[in-house]
Amino acid sequence: MKKILENALKNTGKADYVEIRLEKKESTSIHFQGKKLEKIDCSQQMGGSVRALVKGGWSFVTFNQYDKLKEKVGQAINIATLIGREKSRLAEVPPVVEVVKRELNKDFRQVSLKEKKELIENYNNIILNYSPKIQSTNVIYGDSFSTVYFANSEGSFIRHEKPNLIVSLTAIARDGDNVQMANESLGTVKGFKKAEDISLRAEKAAFRAVNLLKAKPVEGGEYTVVLDQTLGGVFIHEAFGHLSEADFLYEDDRMKNLMKLGTKFGFKKLNVIDDGSISNLLGSSKYDDEGVKTKKNYLIRNGILTGRLHSRETAKKMNEMPTGNARALNYRFKPIVRMTNTYIENGKTSFENLISGVKKGIYAKKFYGGNTTFEMFTFSAGEGFMIRDGKIAEPVKDVVLSGNLFTVLLNIESIGDDLKMIEAAGGCGKGGQAPLPVSFGSPHLRIKKVVVGGK
Amino acid sequence: MERLIKKVKEKVDSAELFRLKSKTVPVNFEVGKLKSVDISDYEGQALRVINKGKIGFSSVVGGNESDSIIEKAIATSEFGIKAGFDFPTTTKPKVENELKIYDSKIKDKSVTGMIKIGEAMIEQIKDFDKNLRCDITILKHNNEIEYLNSKGAAFSYKKTFLSYSMMIQKVEEKDILMIYSSLDSGEDKLKSQDLTDELLEKLKWGENIENIKSGRMPVIFTPNAAMVLILPIVSGLNGNTVLKKISPLANKKEQKIWGDFFFLYSDGTIDFTLGSAPFDDEGIRMRRLPLIEKGCIKNFYYDLQTAGIAGENSTGNGMRHSIQSAPAPGISNLVLGEGNASFSDMVKDVKEGIIVDQVLGLGQGNVISGAFSNNVQLGFKIKNGKITGRIKNVMIAGNAIEELKNMAALGNKARWIDGKYKFPHIYLKSLSVSTKQN
Repeated sequence: MKKILENALKNTGKADYVEIRLEKKESTSIHFQGKKLEKIDCSQQMGGSVRALVKGGWSFVTFNQYDKLKEKVGQAINIATLIGREKSRLAEVPPVVEVVKRELNKDFRQVSLKEKKELIENYNNIILNYSPKIQSTNVIYGDSFSTVYFANSEGSFIRHEKPNLIVSLTAIARDGDNVQMANESLGTVKGFKKAEDISLRAEKAAFRAVNLLKAKPVEGGEYTVVLDQTLGGVFIHEAFGHLSEADFLYEDDRMKNLMKLGTKFGFKKLNVIDDGSISNLLGSSKYDDEGVKTKKNYLIRNGILTGRLHSRETAKKMNEMPTGNARALNYRFKPIVRMTNTYIENGKTSFENLISGVKKGIYAKKFYGGNTTFEMFTFSAGEGFMIRDGKIAEPVKDVVLSGNLFTVLLNIESIGDDLKMIEAAGGCGKGGQAPLPVSFGSPHLRIKKVVVGGK
Repeated sequence: MERLIKKVKEKVDSAELFRLKSKTVPVNFEVGKLKSVDISDYEGQALRVINKGKIGFSSVVGGNESDSIIEKAIATSEFGIKAGFDFPTTTKPKVENELKIYDSKIKDKSVTGMIKIGEAMIEQIKDFDKNLRCDITILKHNNEIEYLNSKGAAFSYKKTFLSYSMMIQKVEEKDILMIYSSLDSGEDKLKSQDLTDELLEKLKWGENIENIKSGRMPVIFTPNAAMVLILPIVSGLNGNTVLKKISPLANKKEQKIWGDFFFLYSDGTIDFTLGSAPFDDEGIRMRRLPLIEKGCIKNFYYDLQTAGIAGENSTGNGMRHSIQSAPAPGISNLVLGEGNASFSDMVKDVKEGIIVDQVLGLGQGNVISGAFSNNVQLGFKIKNGKITGRIKNVMIAGNAIEELKNMAALGNKARWIDGKYKFPHIYLKSLSVSTKQN
């Protein structure tokens, strides 16, 4: 393969930079809905792409046949030439030649379809048999193993292996017209073993869905909110993380000004990190999809904006160091600036002390999803409780939190001491590339003045 | 294709092969500058078999045609669900008024021509205000579908699509205003002027920032935002959620729930729209299916398998979400019937309320129950019948099934959204709005 790629990258003429990615992928998915096996299938994918840079203009060509690589490279260079109008600028990184393998604890490619199906069916049955109020389920298993070959015109050749396995357990409970859902999920790069013992999670999902039937809708308004580790993680990913991705501001002077390093951005004890080099988390990878080595990047230190996430282009154009955050969902997409494993560092406050001072607030846990447009963010909790006089009180539902980034990070009042990294099914979406595997985490957090939507 | 079907036919009861070939070319402008051009070729095929009465499915993207797809499909059929249908035996001959979904002018559009369109749009925005950030994508798409099954049915068609999308961003101090919209059509007849006009009008409405108080108030949803209210309804009319009884609308067929002027259709017969095709993705002719008429639920929508189990007929709504997914009930184009009120009449009617144009968190939360709760990403305040400015830090929430009973009026000028949803303005008498107290 190395030869083929080297050959295709010979004589790239007027191009300033060319890279090729080829990918082979096998995947399996199984889906139970209620008592029925809704879907079971196996698929194979094979494809590739060429990205070329000529005088600052990028082109990107994708295809499913490998036989005409040289021609595709030519096509990419030709289109890029059409649009290039300035000087190409990419941060310099050393060329890498390496094979990056992954160790799996029980390789799911060796596990029979029958075994996978029976495991998932068992989780499905646990939920279905939990209570007569359980109306239905959505239990999904998915695994995929990709081998990605990366080569560029600077002499890099990297073979990555990208395994991924998810289990998503959704319980749907119903009482008359009242329908409620709860989800527990798992995502991992570590192999089949991790999926084998999560019966307790299936029970938890069922328990929460049934419990939500009794919950009253939360009353809309402004509250002091305590977030659990999952929501705290979603929160830092959605509300702040996306703003630290340099690709939305590197050519936008007004934005750059807003996000100047050194700006006070949050509560003085807040530290936020993105680190793709942690081993074996969902967002981990030794090199990113531009062949840049990943590392630990402080985004906020003591409440001050100290760093951001880069591709080679954004790093050069902002005169900062590359961070190894250019990631592509697969060969059909170009690498763009993405998070990897993003988290808030531990503080010193115990959970008890975090809630004890709250007279009327909300304890929000788990999540359905989140969304952001830079300044504004919104995310929904999967489970909620009122906090009254410093104690967890009655459950509430439909808790959707929303706010403005610039104020909310300053409104963090207290940071817990119980950081947990969350690896869930699903993933991050940006520029049509979803779901990209990421992990996130946080200790419990207390934030004042958060807008909660409701009746 | 024939070879594969012939081969698989020897091993199973029946089989179908679906093949997709597509080419997408987006020209991207970022911060007012030409940034990149992509050419994306894609081809894949999916095999669905019925083997000993059970369904098997497998797909392959790229690579050479091989028989491994047959083995995998048969392997999955061992655990597959019981088939509630068989593949159609004929795909009826073309009807007289042939559906128009292909425009060769789009396929032949040059990259240089597309660059010029984007540059002209940027020029216009810069003329208005040179400090605005402007991101544009001009995209052309064409695909070819081929279908063949072992029962003798076969069809193929080609479809084109053109899309102009634009985002304008204005940054002042710590205030970021983002306005997004797009125009989409299967025909090469888009007028970029319509898009720039729309965005600049909203920019003008949003010049001031206004405060509102939390509470219930009249809310007008623009066509861009109408999906907030319609998505829960469409989820509830899906034959699959009805069959599983998780839809709150499951037992309500032929029941009148909403006002007389509420009409909703799944319509795959409209020329040059993204959702139209002669057949759905499993060979059933697409049609105009009434979902709701005069506020009364008329039909749920089905694919072959779901219909078979429910004892219904497919409504021509068997859609493949991607080449890797087997058909499931899906909407072709979604058309919400127009009312008789103009947008300006709606605004005039409001003493104090808001307009919602863009939201965050669409489809987030417990959609199937009807519940929605969204951050208003772009919204405006109405005071005494006039739009006075933009609102920030506002959330709307409610239950769509309930709130739509409160419809004061529907707009008389529907607009196509994303090339497949035709929505007018929706005016609700009252909806819960929460905001941050400053």
